[in-house]
Amino acid sequence: MNVNVLRRPLLYTTLTALLLAFTAPLLWALSGSFKTRGDIFEYPPKLLPSPATLDNYRSLLTDQPFGRWFLVSTVVALLATVVSVFVCALAGYGFAKFRFAGKQLLFGVMFSSLSIPFAVILVPLFVILVKTGLGSPWFALIVPWVAPAFGIFMMQQYIVQSVPDEILEAARIDGASEFGIFRRVVLPLLRPSLGALGVWQFLQSYNSFLWPLVLVSDSSQYTLPLGLQTLFRAENRQYDLVLAGAVLAVLPAVLVFVVLRKQLLEGLSTGAVKG
Amino acid sequence: MTSTLTTGDTSAAGATAGPAAAKQRRSTLHPYLFIAPFYLLYVLFMLVPIGVALWLSLCEWVGLGTPHWVGLRNYSHLLTDSSFHRALGNTGIYVLVSVLVIVPAALFIAQAINSRGLRARDLWRTAYFVPMVVSPIIVALIFGLIFDRQFGLFNSLLRALFGTGSVDWLGDPTMSKVAISLVMVWRWTGYLTIFFLAGLQNVPRELYEAAALDGASRFRTFRAVTLPALKPVTAFVVVTSFICAAQVFEEPYLLTNGGPAEATLSVAMFIFRAAFERQQFGYAAAAGVVLFVVVFTLSQLFNRLLGIGRIK
Repeated sequence: MNVNVLRRPLLYTTLTALLLAFTAPLLWALSGSFKTRGDIFEYPPKLLPSPATLDNYRSLLTDQPFGRWFLVSTVVALLATVVSVFVCALAGYGFAKFRFAGKQLLFGVMFSSLSIPFAVILVPLFVILVKTGLGSPWFALIVPWVAPAFGIFMMQQYIVQSVPDEILEAARIDGASEFGIFRRVVLPLLRPSLGALGVWQFLQSYNSFLWPLVLVSDSSQYTLPLGLQTLFRAENRQYDLVLAGAVLAVLPAVLVFVVLRKQLLEGLSTGAVKG
Repeated sequence: MTSTLTTGDTSAAGATAGPAAAKQRRSTLHPYLFIAPFYLLYVLFMLVPIGVALWLSLCEWVGLGTPHWVGLRNYSHLLTDSSFHRALGNTGIYVLVSVLVIVPAALFIAQAINSRGLRARDLWRTAYFVPMVVSPIIVALIFGLIFDRQFGLFNSLLRALFGTGSVDWLGDPTMSKVAISLVMVWRWTGYLTIFFLAGLQNVPRELYEAAALDGASRFRTFRAVTLPALKPVTAFVVVTSFICAAQVFEEPYLLTNGGPAEATLSVAMFIFRAAFERQQFGYAAAAGVVLFVVVFTLSQLFNRLLGIGRIK
């Protein structure tokens, strides 16, 4: 008990220090986004902007196609999310509730695709899509990424744990078709984990950089990360506009995360925990 | 993984008689239909590209015209290319940082958050996770501001604390590696913490109580109770962070552009540079194949050793 009394303050101090370390860079960017160009690199650094200005936001939104970048990123991410959640739920269900020849092997193949580094397919996938005329961002930023093995694994684990066989049996006896059972019985039971997977997929797509960098050459189709990076280079590494853009780009992601954090954090870890 | 999987055959009505049940019904096709979309996409966008990568790696190609067959020449060039060796070495360092620094730090933080009776548990784990939600390129942008040699926050803090602070975070060969590693630590630790935390919450309380009754020390309890129970999570976390660290791209690309003098160049950057800045598509493909072989082999080995990714 005595040990505990001594340990508590230490524990909270450590946790608070970590909290600062993990949030300070973001808060620093937030504060910087309200500073004038000259004040961003002022010494000694001021924690709060004075004078605070909205000029960075104003010129970002009026002089730069920020709204377009935002739209492209959001639409691409939403489409990729909807399709991939469906594909993952289908495959997860197949692996969780059926017994079939070659299951071991097929599951192993699916799982092992987690350890294929993206860099190996970067060049060939780019070449294939461009040569076959499928290089349009609306196809190439979405379709190749809607079947993530991680999502299937996550759904499979969740379905094993939370969809009882008896319900499926009952539906079969009632004469429901297999796909009907999936749609009307299984999917509604999966709602929490669909949410988790959805948030995860959305963030993956919304935040991705290397693939859009390689693929998108037309600046009217830039995604947010791409647009911000180009702006940074074009402005000769000046931070004023970029910080405002970073804040506006990060805000939706953080909001979605904070609102749905329970599902996401629990959903993410279900798969990895069971031995 | 998955200890409770497929307790009985539910694919056909009344077929719970065990694996040897002779009743094979029409529905045997259904599971294949359910997993078919994944495999279709997998073949088209994973297997085919890997095949093309293998073929391209045996060719010389500038992106126009027909690729020109050169056999294993790209690979023999990689063997003597000091840039590629540096990229491999740097990536090795990033991998070591993630496995030896980030993973233990995540475990430590998870232990702290899992302390009994801790207040605001949700706040801690949520706040620590936030860096993962931010696009890596934006993370790199923000850290560029912080690592700035003259006016950055880091050096300003050092100056305020120690009177001197002109560390060349992004311009010095050693410090730039430290800077990139710090960004990785910042971005990944809270994410991996979540997995350890879930693992810790799954350890049966009775085990701890039994250890306490035996008068085991905290360290001994950790070694004898916590660590074994965390084995599957640890396996997952180690493999995941290994694969991710092996592909680091955004941080060196934006913060240092691989410099100074390739001191932070990663393999992913090497591939990107060869293909899209130097039009050496065959050479880039060969480097990709090497990375693939190394990462895939090692993580399969890990998985086999630690027993994850299997299904009953």
